[in-house]
Amino acid sequence: MLKDASIKNKLTLGLGTIVAIMLFLLALAYNNSQKLAAANEWDRHALEVMVESNHIATAVLQVQSATRGFLLTGNEALIEPINAEFAEAKRHLATATRLVVDNPIQHDRMKQLAPMLDNWMSQAIMPQIALGRSGRRDDSTREIAGTEAAVLLGARTVAAIREQINQIAAEENRLMTLRSQESAALQETMSLLLTAGGAVTVALAVLIAWLLMRALLAPLNSLNRTVGRIAAGDQSARASILANDELGKVAVEFNRMAQAIQDSQAKEQAASADLRAKVDSLLAVVSKAAAGDLSGQVTITGQDAIGQLGQGLATMFDNLRSHLNNVQKAGIQVTTSATEIAASSRQQEATGIEQAQTSVEILSTTREISANTTQLLRTMEQATAVADFTTSATAEAQGNLKRMDATMQHMVTATDSINAKLAALSEKASNINNVLVTITKVADQTNILSLNAAIEAEKAGDAGRGFSVVATEIRRLADQTSVSTWDIEQMVKEMQSAVSASVMGMDKFSEEIRRSVGEVRQVAEQLSSVMDQVQKLAPQFDLVLEGMQSQAVGASQISETMLQLSEATQQTVESLKATSDAVRQLQYAAGDLQSSVATFSVNG
Amino acid sequence: MKVLAFHIGTERYGLRLAGIAQVLPAAALKALPLTPSYVAGLLDLHGTPVPVIDLTQLAGLGPSALRFDTRIVVVDYAADDGRVRALGLLAERVQGVQEVAQARLSDAGVRGAAFLGQVATGDGAMLQLVDIEHLLAPDVRALLFPVGQA
Repeated sequence: MLKDASIKNKLTLGLGTIVAIMLFLLALAYNNSQKLAAANEWDRHALEVMVESNHIATAVLQVQSATRGFLLTGNEALIEPINAEFAEAKRHLATATRLVVDNPIQHDRMKQLAPMLDNWMSQAIMPQIALGRSGRRDDSTREIAGTEAAVLLGARTVAAIREQINQIAAEENRLMTLRSQESAALQETMSLLLTAGGAVTVALAVLIAWLLMRALLAPLNSLNRTVGRIAAGDQSARASILANDELGKVAVEFNRMAQAIQDSQAKEQAASADLRAKVDSLLAVVSKAAAGDLSGQVTITGQDAIGQLGQGLATMFDNLRSHLNNVQKAGIQVTTSATEIAASSRQQEATGIEQAQTSVEILSTTREISANTTQLLRTMEQATAVADFTTSATAEAQGNLKRMDATMQHMVTATDSINAKLAALSEKASNINNVLVTITKVADQTNILSLNAAIEAEKAGDAGRGFSVVATEIRRLADQTSVSTWDIEQMVKEMQSAVSASVMGMDKFSEEIRRSVGEVRQVAEQLSSVMDQVQKLAPQFDLVLEGMQSQAVGASQISETMLQLSEATQQTVESLKATSDAVRQLQYAAGDLQSSVATFSVNG
Repeated sequence: MKVLAFHIGTERYGLRLAGIAQVLPAAALKALPLTPSYVAGLLDLHGTPVPVIDLTQLAGLGPSALRFDTRIVVVDYAADDGRVRALGLLAERVQGVQEVAQARLSDAGVRGAAFLGQVATGDGAMLQLVDIEHLLAPDVRALLFPVGQA
């Protein structure tokens, strides 16, 4: 917005802003000084009230002292100014009352003072004076008492009046202190305002002056720089348009002028460049032709001298080019043919070498085959020997197994006979048991018999005493028999249990032997089948051996044939090398021809 | 005095040889129903039936075990009618005849079963005599040996 304004507007706006700020500051200062004046006025007002109240107090004192003087002296001259002093007091009271109209409390106090003064005058002073006068005349003691009462009343009233006046003065003092504080604060505000406002105003003025200077000087500087650059030769230099003011318009017009000068210079340069380009192009074609390159085309035509020169040169170059073309084609054909021949002979040579290598490889492979075959032959012979050994060993094992079988059979028979003997033993033991039972029974009977014999002997009395001894012996014999029988019985029982354990053991043993015999027979059968198989192997090994031998012979024949083939291939390779040399010489000759023609370049 | 020593349970007892008729091996007995459990049965003694008392059962220790030295001792029993009758006693572990001095016998001093008599002390284990006449209670006696029968 500021950018588009004219210079006049910019100046007016800047200076106007400074003036406005200063006016605002002045208005603030004036307002503050008004407030200060009002505060001073109030101070003066309070002082007036205090003076008036002092006047009232003084007048009252004057009246009181005059009255006292009169009472003491009786001089009438002393009471003459009383009325004047009282009137003075009333007048000052009226002035003070008028002054404190704005303050209701003070106003009330003043109003109270007026009746107090009137009362004091009428009830204390006037009676005192009257009594004083009458006292002078008759000196009665009654009057003195009346005077005393009046004086006391006067003193009390004066004290009240003074109290009232003191209150008023104190109130005014308080107000004055308050106002003086306010006015001091106002003064401080004023000085602060003036200092801060002055500083702000100066800062704003400097800012506005700087902005104006920049707005005026920047376009002028830009214009100046552009003129300098054009003078130094920079045709494209243009002034920058910084603002839309009068200086901006000057910059636009200047730019237009610079553009016109640049355009006319460019046109002149283009014409001279065109002429130089034509001459250069002709010169380039001619220099290329001088170096041997005839492929350059002359494109310059026209009716001027340069155009006619160009046409003549073009015709000459066309003729030369057609001649050289023919020579070059012939050379290329010769070279191509020679190269082809060389390539095919090289290929043949490579093939021959490859063939030789292949035959060598075949040879070595064949040798390996024959070596392997020999080794195989040896291995087969060893295998045959092993097979023979296996056959004989198996036959021997079979014989051993047969013998073992026979031994086993013997063992089975022996076991059976042992079993039979054990059974006989068991039967005998049973017989012994039967005998033992009989013996036991006999021993028992004998025991009972001995008991009965003892009883009978006892019954017989003294006659049976000898028999009693015999009975005792019989009984002991029977007891011994019983014990022995029991021992024998135990032994026989142990024997029987041992025999039955032996029978069971033998049964198990014979069972084991039978199973072993079965297994041995099975092994023998397997061995004989193995032997059959091994015997069958021998003729097959022979067949394989024969095949191997014939293979070895075939391999050595192949070896010989391959040797002959290898020699033949070697000869072929040598003849191909000779051909190759001849072709290479032909190639060299063709290359010479081509290079001598190639110095002339025909096509672009 | 000689006594026949035997066992009732684990204790040793004795019978006076003078009262014993004979000793027999334990034989098969004919059972007698509706008699006390200690009446083992009837023994066939050479054609004469003889009642047999199980001494172990009588002592309240269960029936006697049949061992190789379990015997039937036949004693002379004075019946109520004054006649002497044969009575079989089934006794365990009949060991044999033993001499007991009269001086070693003394009263037991303890009142147990009616049939228990004097005690022989000293000489190893004690031995108590069995009184045959007090062996049977009156009702059983009447049952086994009724008065007025041959």
